[in-house]
Amino acid sequence: MKALFRNPACLIGVLLVVLHLVVAIGAPWVAPYAPTSLLDAPLEPPSATYWLGTDDLGRDAFSRLLWGGRVAMLVAFAAGIIAVVGGAVLGLSAAFMRGAFDDCMLRLVEMKLAVPTILFVAIFVTGFGQSIPILILAIGIIQMMGVIRTTRAAGIVLMEQGYVRAAQLNGESGPKIILRELLPNVADLMAVEFALRASSALLLVSALSFLGLGISPPTPDWGLMVEDAMALLDSEPHLVLAPALAISTLVLGINLAAEGLAEAMGLDAARGGASG
Amino acid sequence: MISLILRRGALSLATLFLLATFIFFATEVLPGDALDVSLSADEVAMMPPEVLARRKAELGLDRPILERYLGFLGGLLKFDLGRTIITRAPVADIVAMPLRNSMALAAVTLLLALPVALGIAMAAAQAKGRGLDNAVSGAAIIGYSIPEFVTGLLLIAVFAVWWPIFPATITASTDDPLSVLLAAAPLAVITTIIGSIAYLGRILRVGMIEVMASDFVERLHLSGIPRWRILLVHALPAAVIPGLSAAALYAASLVSGIVVVEMVFAYPGIGAELVRAVTRREVHVVQAIALAAAICVVSFNLLADLGISALDPRTRDA
Amino acid sequence: MRPVGAPVVEPLLSVRGLNISWFSQQGRRNHVVNEVSFDLASGETLGIAGESGSGKSTLARALLGHARGGSRIESGSILLGGRDLVSLAPKALAALRGRDVAMVPQNPLSSLTFHLRVGAQVEEVLRHRAGLSPKAASLRSLELLTEMGLSEPEKIAQRYPHQLSGGQRQRVVLACALACDPALLVLDEPTTALDKTTEAQVLELIQRLRRARRGAMVLVTHDLNVIAEICHRVMVMQHGKVVEEGPVQQVFGAPSQPYTRLLLGSALRVDGASEAQPGRHGSTLLEGAGLGFSYARPSLLLRRASTTTPTLTDINFSLGRGEVLGVIGESGSGKTTLGGLVTGFLAPERGVLRFDGAALAGRAAARSIEHRRRIQMVFQDPLSSLNPRRRVGDQVARPMRLFHGLDKRKAEARTVQLFEEMGLNADLLTRFPRQLSGGQQQRVAIARAFAAEPDLLVCDEITSALDASVQAQLLDQLGAMQRRAGTALLLITHDLTVIWRMASRVIVMRSGRILEQGETNAVFRTPSNPYTAALLDAATRATRVAEPAFAGV
Repeated sequence: MKALFRNPACLIGVLLVVLHLVVAIGAPWVAPYAPTSLLDAPLEPPSATYWLGTDDLGRDAFSRLLWGGRVAMLVAFAAGIIAVVGGAVLGLSAAFMRGAFDDCMLRLVEMKLAVPTILFVAIFVTGFGQSIPILILAIGIIQMMGVIRTTRAAGIVLMEQGYVRAAQLNGESGPKIILRELLPNVADLMAVEFALRASSALLLVSALSFLGLGISPPTPDWGLMVEDAMALLDSEPHLVLAPALAISTLVLGINLAAEGLAEAMGLDAARGGASG
Repeated sequence: MISLILRRGALSLATLFLLATFIFFATEVLPGDALDVSLSADEVAMMPPEVLARRKAELGLDRPILERYLGFLGGLLKFDLGRTIITRAPVADIVAMPLRNSMALAAVTLLLALPVALGIAMAAAQAKGRGLDNAVSGAAIIGYSIPEFVTGLLLIAVFAVWWPIFPATITASTDDPLSVLLAAAPLAVITTIIGSIAYLGRILRVGMIEVMASDFVERLHLSGIPRWRILLVHALPAAVIPGLSAAALYAASLVSGIVVVEMVFAYPGIGAELVRAVTRREVHVVQAIALAAAICVVSFNLLADLGISALDPRTRDA
Repeated sequence: MRPVGAPVVEPLLSVRGLNISWFSQQGRRNHVVNEVSFDLASGETLGIAGESGSGKSTLARALLGHARGGSRIESGSILLGGRDLVSLAPKALAALRGRDVAMVPQNPLSSLTFHLRVGAQVEEVLRHRAGLSPKAASLRSLELLTEMGLSEPEKIAQRYPHQLSGGQRQRVVLACALACDPALLVLDEPTTALDKTTEAQVLELIQRLRRARRGAMVLVTHDLNVIAEICHRVMVMQHGKVVEEGPVQQVFGAPSQPYTRLLLGSALRVDGASEAQPGRHGSTLLEGAGLGFSYARPSLLLRRASTTTPTLTDINFSLGRGEVLGVIGESGSGKTTLGGLVTGFLAPERGVLRFDGAALAGRAAARSIEHRRRIQMVFQDPLSSLNPRRRVGDQVARPMRLFHGLDKRKAEARTVQLFEEMGLNADLLTRFPRQLSGGQQQRVAIARAFAAEPDLLVCDEITSALDASVQAQLLDQLGAMQRRAGTALLLITHDLTVIWRMASRVIVMRSGRILEQGETNAVFRTPSNPYTAALLDAATRATRVAEPAFAGV
């Protein structure tokens, strides 16, 4: 823990994440107005009443900014949990069993490398409809593939260790070996993976919202806000820049924290890093 | 070498087959059929039953699932991707040109980003732990933390609004020659390149630092071989190998990024087609775009693999 | 202090008061070379002996004016031909390296560029350091490869490093280092990566080069036998300091320092009887008949063709109750595979294993719980044999709970008892493996094996990762434990000293076959196989060097 704070970049990252979490949780109490109520004339300039002015429908942009990370963060958090827990179970099982199951996992991972994530989610949305649970599931599954890859690789190294062999030779059961011998030794990796997967899920969900395939209006969401205000870039740039800055600082914060975490644990974030 | 190509090729085909299966079942089977999902509930309710049945028969949706799956695979072998549900236009015609445009954007991005990333990584590795290296690492982590649409909009804000030297969006049309199209989209190309350099540079920097710390570099250093020679003749090819695998891993994310960037700049690629198809639930178009993108990515991965085996004699004997 | 027998001329190399420090990530400074001074004259060969962490490799690099990233030469001087490498500018250093002083690195495979043909790598030094034309370099490189004892140099030159054998690679690296005929040649563990037969050949080559060249050599190694074979003088290092220095025969014949005596004590001396207790020739506990195994699997399209690793062919042996049976062999001999068959990590393809009169199933999973309990194993690497995330006491208690159904309290009491028997303080029970020293970790691993109360303990190279001082102590404790419990040991190792001290009988293996087996005393005194004789010769040089009959330097 101390090592985390010796690294100034990591400290900045943790602070950014904490700030965003506090704002997201506190938004209902902190935000001056309800994010969806139509208050005033559209496109009011920033003023003491409306700190960031109003958007094209006359909603308070500042309140929407405070609210705008909540759903995306929820999706990223849930998808990250699904990815890390599912990925670790499948990856470690593949490392433990090898053989046909391992081959299947490798094919799955390979498939993920061939399908761009946005297309993967688009397929899901086409087939199952556009809703938050579907979004969480689709992003969780696609992110899971990367976790399978890294935990499987770590598991294969662990399987060579004397203590795992000793447990095998003593006839300990498969689930016991995975839970007692393998899992505790990939806990560090899972923590880093969770951060990386969550940050990349966040990027993905905001990109999807921007495309109109993610979170649906009227829910306040940064990706949607950028998309809405895009045409007003020359006249009302703050309506685009504020939500853009919010997404970027949150993702940057998670990535900086993950990098520091990985360094403190002797892992290589760039190598095991999430890809898209 | 030949057996390696054959083996990798067969694996790629297997991956594509699995993908096609996944795409078919995920889009067509589970919650309803293609007609139900492409029309809203109101429309279905208002449609006379016999019209609905005729439409279903036209689309082949009255056949059993397995038969349709086999038909889908058979169609793929003949490059027949089916027709759209609403306008009954051949899917291949809709997808072909946008796909060409997107792939051109991807190819230009990789061709420009890979050498730049390699150069930056080499410079950073030389200065490991010092100012330049820290600056590069910092820039990389910021670069890949910013969503592509934000980068794109920032570029528009700076270079098209405040200092108008580039067009904000693209005026060229779908069927224009690639040279016209790419020349009309400098900011789109720059946006995708920035993201790619951040991603690739980060991985290459780690690879380059590893190579510079390797035993063979130390031996050459201790033999008094000039530094430029160690770098260019020995270390660079060794660092290109992880670079190629990184690029292969990155190819899919690049396509994702391009879909978004196209929407920002109104670049006539698969991005707009995809969004239109998903919102209208044009199942066959989504299938076609997903499959086409996958084929491109898999082919690129295959090429990268072959490139690696050309550079690394160890993989040829394995 | 000028060593006896050294020529009284200006020394080629003169090191004075050298201090080198490493800086850890947290910025802690660590003295790895501490006030080292010595001289070396042309034509002389100095051996620097020490265990890992003694600073010998750091010192070797410093002789080329090099300090690896994270380390720094703090003070002192290294005069080579009158110039101080410590204060020389980088440019001048680069001009010197390869021409005046060259190094043969430790691992020839990773020290050659993997994507270039080896011929081109030798030529590179000739062209860029010796200033030869491309044509002359190509001719000279073939000559050099021939001089290094490589037949068919044209063919070798066209190969990539991974396509050569270990011995061939070492010769290529030597060719690179000798390309400019440097006055000083520094060899860092030049034979560690090689098997004994190849080692003998490479040492012979180094001998020949030493006699043919005018230059001086510094040879850094942990293996005293290699120093006895090659060097005039020896310098023993520990924790970065010089412990003892002098002519090899003097230092090895009559060491003045306790640490030197300790190191020499771990070298084999075949005189008197083997220290091992004669085995109890009671009933047979374990018997292998016609055992065969191969790793080669048919290559399916979807799987990479697995490489063929050592196969076992026609292995017959038996082991009595409470007996210590040594299995000696080098890497690739199949000795670890044999251990794997006994413990049930691998299943034999041919032949049968019988344990206490009953057939033993192949894989451990197929064996009865009693069989699994009665055969236990201790691994080579002490750290990796313990789960880093669990307290060592819990790990030792686990087999008691698994096999004997002891409750928590009883298991704890028995763990304390086992810890005491292994000379471990009960305070350590609640520690995690990383908080223990290597020797303590290995003792915990042994305690864990004994916790199952086995009849047979398979020990695979259990001392090779440990320091000499720790090795001796560990073996004593293991021996005492084994005699007390009446446990039979299958002691797998490449270290003949371990066998001589512990095993009443020995099996000599090579390339998956048993070359000879018998009483340790008989095999070590009158080996019937030339390979065994060569192993014994290589392992006893350090202890024979002081004898008048020794045909070394």
